[in-house]
Amino acid sequence: MAESPAFESPVVRSYEFSSGGPLMLTDASPTTKWLVRGEVGGAAAERLDAPFGSSRDAGGGALVLGSRPGEWIVLGPADAVASVVAGLDGLDSSEFLTALDWTHGRALFLVTGTDAPRMLEKVCSLDWSDAMTPDGAVASASVAKVTCDIARHDDDGTPAYMIFCDRSFGQYLFDALIDAGNEFGLSVGPAGP
Amino acid sequence: MLLVPCPNCGPRNSADLRYGGESHARPDPATATPQQWRGYLYLRDNPAGWLRENWYCRSGCRRWFALERNTATNEFRNPPAPGDKRGGKA
Repeated sequence: MAESPAFESPVVRSYEFSSGGPLMLTDASPTTKWLVRGEVGGAAAERLDAPFGSSRDAGGGALVLGSRPGEWIVLGPADAVASVVAGLDGLDSSEFLTALDWTHGRALFLVTGTDAPRMLEKVCSLDWSDAMTPDGAVASASVAKVTCDIARHDDDGTPAYMIFCDRSFGQYLFDALIDAGNEFGLSVGPAGP
Repeated sequence: MLLVPCPNCGPRNSADLRYGGESHARPDPATATPQQWRGYLYLRDNPAGWLRENWYCRSGCRRWFALERNTATNEFRNPPAPGDKRGGKA
């Protein structure tokens, strides 16, 4: 896997501030992200073992998200992600399989806090109740009119959501999330993976 | 708000989908007459009642699917089986 050039976040206007509230928005765009596409029910699907709508801890801090039928996002520390992607090499399969380093192409924002579902309800039409989107759930939907992949990955019982979008929409979506979170006392944390 | 039952994503706001029009079988280009092509390309049944339609889940699973909608009541029926199952953390 080639070294990536220095990462430039899509969020060029930083707003780091703390309101003292429990709701936190963080720009985690530098996190290593790969997109894998294969066939539903194929050898890659079996190896990645994260059906559409679910996620799996792949070890070493890497997460596999079943973002769409036959489509997965692998994210986490670079070496752990590389290990997961390398595990797809040599599969005994004739299916057409692609793996693409998405790190520079997709923005990733984290929303953490007990009010995170209420904040997301303002900008996304999905049902954010625990029954419909439990810990580990993955979905794709429009967030503030931007098509996003969303994964819930709770932090010690506190609801936490990862929101992926095209990097060209990153600044807009970051601003829209700040606007949606203001009434809940949103804080903006320092950028980083 | 119109809730469209996507077979993969579940009920979704119609704003998350693209309407693809009436679902018709495409005639065989080798044997179709000009009249049949014209009918396929331009003519619509447009009933006040049940109609089979194409939808594209553009913000969700990015799949085309066909289902039946009652154009008078906006009820849906007979969504196709999902291509994959959903779940929580594996």
